[in-house]
Amino acid sequence: MTDRVKVKEIRTGVSETQDDLIEVKDLRTYFPTQDGVVKAVDGVSFEIEAGKTLGIVGESGCGKSITALSIMKLIEKPGRIVGGSIKLDGFEIVNATDDEMRQIRGNEISMIFQEPMTSLNPVYNCGDQIAEAVSLHDDMGRREAHNKAVEMIRDVGIPDPKHRAKQYPHELSGGMRQRVMIAMALSTDPALLIADEPTTALDVTIQAQILELMKALREKNKMAIMLITHDLGVIAEMADEVVVMYAGKVVERSDVNTIFAQPHHPYTHGLLASIPRLGERHKRLAVIKGVVPNPLNLPKGCLFKRRCPYAMPVCDTAPPFQQLGPNHSSLCWLTADQKPPAIGANASGVIAEETAAAMSPSK
Amino acid sequence: MATYVIRRLIQALPILLGIAVISFIIVHVAPGSPIDKYRTPRVSPEQLQNLIRMYGLDKSLPEQFFSWIFNFLQPWQTDGAGNHVAWGFSFSTGAPVWDRITERIPATLLLMGTALASTVVIAIPIGVLAAVKQYSLADKVITVFATVGYAVPSYWLGLMLIYTFAINLNLFPLFGMHSLGKTDPLDVGWHMILPVASLTIQQVAGWSRYMRSSMLEVMRQDYIRTARAKGLSSGQVIRKHALRNALIPIVTLLGLTIPTLLSGAIITEAIFSWPGLGNLGYTSVIDRDYPVVLAFVMMGGFMVIVGNLIADILYAVVDPRIKY
Amino acid sequence: MDTTVNPSLAQRLPGEIDEVDLIPVRTYWQMVRRRFLRNRLAVVAFLLLVVLIALALIVPTLTGEMYRKTSLIKPYAGVELAAPLGYDDIGQNIFLRLMKALQTSLFIGFAAVSIIFTVGVSVGAIAGYFGGWVDNILMRVVDVVLSLPSLFLVIMLVAFFGGGNVWVIVFAIGLTGWTTAARLVRATFLSLREADFVQAAQALGASRFRIITRHMLPSALAPILVAVTLGVADSVVTEAALSFLGFGISPPEASLGNMMTNAINYMIRQPLLIVYPGVTLILIVLAASFLGDGLRDALDPRQRAEG
Repeated sequence: MTDRVKVKEIRTGVSETQDDLIEVKDLRTYFPTQDGVVKAVDGVSFEIEAGKTLGIVGESGCGKSITALSIMKLIEKPGRIVGGSIKLDGFEIVNATDDEMRQIRGNEISMIFQEPMTSLNPVYNCGDQIAEAVSLHDDMGRREAHNKAVEMIRDVGIPDPKHRAKQYPHELSGGMRQRVMIAMALSTDPALLIADEPTTALDVTIQAQILELMKALREKNKMAIMLITHDLGVIAEMADEVVVMYAGKVVERSDVNTIFAQPHHPYTHGLLASIPRLGERHKRLAVIKGVVPNPLNLPKGCLFKRRCPYAMPVCDTAPPFQQLGPNHSSLCWLTADQKPPAIGANASGVIAEETAAAMSPSK
Repeated sequence: MATYVIRRLIQALPILLGIAVISFIIVHVAPGSPIDKYRTPRVSPEQLQNLIRMYGLDKSLPEQFFSWIFNFLQPWQTDGAGNHVAWGFSFSTGAPVWDRITERIPATLLLMGTALASTVVIAIPIGVLAAVKQYSLADKVITVFATVGYAVPSYWLGLMLIYTFAINLNLFPLFGMHSLGKTDPLDVGWHMILPVASLTIQQVAGWSRYMRSSMLEVMRQDYIRTARAKGLSSGQVIRKHALRNALIPIVTLLGLTIPTLLSGAIITEAIFSWPGLGNLGYTSVIDRDYPVVLAFVMMGGFMVIVGNLIADILYAVVDPRIKY
Repeated sequence: MDTTVNPSLAQRLPGEIDEVDLIPVRTYWQMVRRRFLRNRLAVVAFLLLVVLIALALIVPTLTGEMYRKTSLIKPYAGVELAAPLGYDDIGQNIFLRLMKALQTSLFIGFAAVSIIFTVGVSVGAIAGYFGGWVDNILMRVVDVVLSLPSLFLVIMLVAFFGGGNVWVIVFAIGLTGWTTAARLVRATFLSLREADFVQAAQALGASRFRIITRHMLPSALAPILVAVTLGVADSVVTEAALSFLGFGISPPEASLGNMMTNAINYMIRQPLLIVYPGVTLILIVLAASFLGDGLRDALDPRQRAEG
């Protein structure tokens, strides 16, 4: 065991350091392919404080899942983390050994996935799968682990837990399976739960139940949540802070209220505008024109410029990650009140690059 | 489950009937008749008639069919002397067909059983290795071996083995099951090595490919990712989660290879002069020994049905999602 | 800024190209061809088969009966220009014999496969399209044929109805081997039956025959093509096994199988005699396997079991 701090102490009030629970800095995860390198995550930074919920929002393919998998170091070859740092309470994950990661996975950081149908092993019953997680990380005998599994099943709101523990995944409904996944993830009392689109595959009513469950457990266990979703409604329900991702980069970052009340980045605008609203009458649904750029053929400069209604020539240079407020940043040339930047809409070349560098906080 | 098995067996009856009809028709439509070899000047017409009556060849075809099938389905009938006569008598040797067949079964079972066991023991680890270390050197070697091994005809391989080991290096006997006069198991084992090797190599080629692709399929599944996210090591993930799922189709493969125990035997036993069932089938066709041929086909059909049933039952046993 | 509709979001800046326009359009068959050509192994396999077929067609046609000519002065004579592989025990030119054997074996293989294809596809299509009791009966028939021990049955048929007769062999192999193709086609048809485009065709009033042949069959083509490729290899191997056991083609006619049988007797004197037909057979099967794999990958890359 290295000099990693035992994370679980934090929530009992005894924190040994002042670090955030999770600190991601300039994370870069690339996938070399036959046709070129796909930069799935390209310079992503954010922090998660203990007990808080961070929502990561973006379209499919923007790199949110890869970010989560990078934190767990579950990226499959040929992809790999090529740069940046991920710190779990001060402990550097990027160059952690396999052994160390196995202590962390399922124990300090747990993850639940999108498809409850296929995420559980069909040949083992639910109780066994939960008990496996428990006995892996906490020293428990078989009987104890099994009892803990039944307890967890009860805690996630499944009635008749003893009977359910003996059932196989295919005997449970989608909502129940997701609850079992949550039970499995929480059975080791992790400091952080990463939830990758946990409700996307479920009915709307079940969705609401699962979210309620997650909120209740969050209260009870005082754990942090990293919630990945493309659904802004879920973000509004659950998140304290929000990170908006596009094409592998963070384009806006703020607390949840600011994002909805004062979005800055045109992409965020687009996302919010495309939500249909009851009670308002419009002729057409607003859409963001165009498609996500081909990862093998990314545009120069701002990755959103081909779809952005505010695009200017200066956007051919990579924009700065501007700090617009104490807890609000945006990857865009526009000023806080949506005007072209001080150096002018047509700036380019070295001037633009240096300005961008100057305006971004040291990442 | 018991009702399922019974239902399947009942469903099998029309199939067996179909097989019986087809083989009976083939045997009787074929040019030539079993008594042709008796049509020599030395045999008188009355003797011929007697023969015809004895073999029941004077009755109409449907009558012959029904009398045959009726008796065939009751193989346990014995005459006064304890002979099982229900399956008729061999045209070649006159012995009861039942005896001729049953005395050959152990030899074939020995050969095939050993080959099957060796195949399973070798092919599964190889397949898993190739899948786990995909694209590595080991994987490439195994895949090449499997593809080539699959393409090599078993008799050619058998002959190559005979040539190399039996003739050139003189390590193993050329043919047969026993050396003259010897009956000890060690001698039999020594004789078994080459035929079993030739069968096993070919089977391993096929099975390891199956195992590899099944394993690859399983390892792409979401629950493997969940297992890793729980903190299990690669070894644990493979052993506890992947393997159990990957073995499911392999287990059913086991049931399905039972019928091939019979037909694979024909060629191998021919090359190695192994006195088994396949050899019997082969010679009985040459000799136009129809009772034996018919019994052989019926047995073959029955084994296919049983093999399929076993495969389905095993499938239900290992996969909790299947309930009959 | 409020979050109601911003009209400019729906407009396009002048001179702007929409990302979607930049993706080139290709037809399904163009993509299939591209994927296939990228698979070097499959391409090599295909070329190998072409070479083998060409040899099988050209050489025996040019040399006629020469493969049968025996000679008393030539036995075991070594390699020479006219006989790149030497001579066998009765002075026959091995190379010519091999080519004739290749021709016979390939012919039987392809002929048997055409029977398999015709019977299998018809039965499968009818069963899959009509379903119900038609399907039931046809599947029972398939079950019976499947349950018959195939190799033994082929041996029986050939032995009883005339060994050495090429057509008997072709029909024997064909009539015992159509079941897999039938099942494949039936499975595809059963799932296609409910497909929207089929229902659309029905709504337009297309006749059943037309629907089957012009709408459903092309989709079922992919697995059929693969099965056919592998079926050729299978049939060739079966024929060789037959001839090897003495039931199939017999000398002086040449088949890959009977060349091997003959070679057993001379294993000590001329061991290579058995290698030539064996290797040729292996090449055929390998080429057919790789071609089949390559076709399957090209037609539906999602089916690839390897990563």
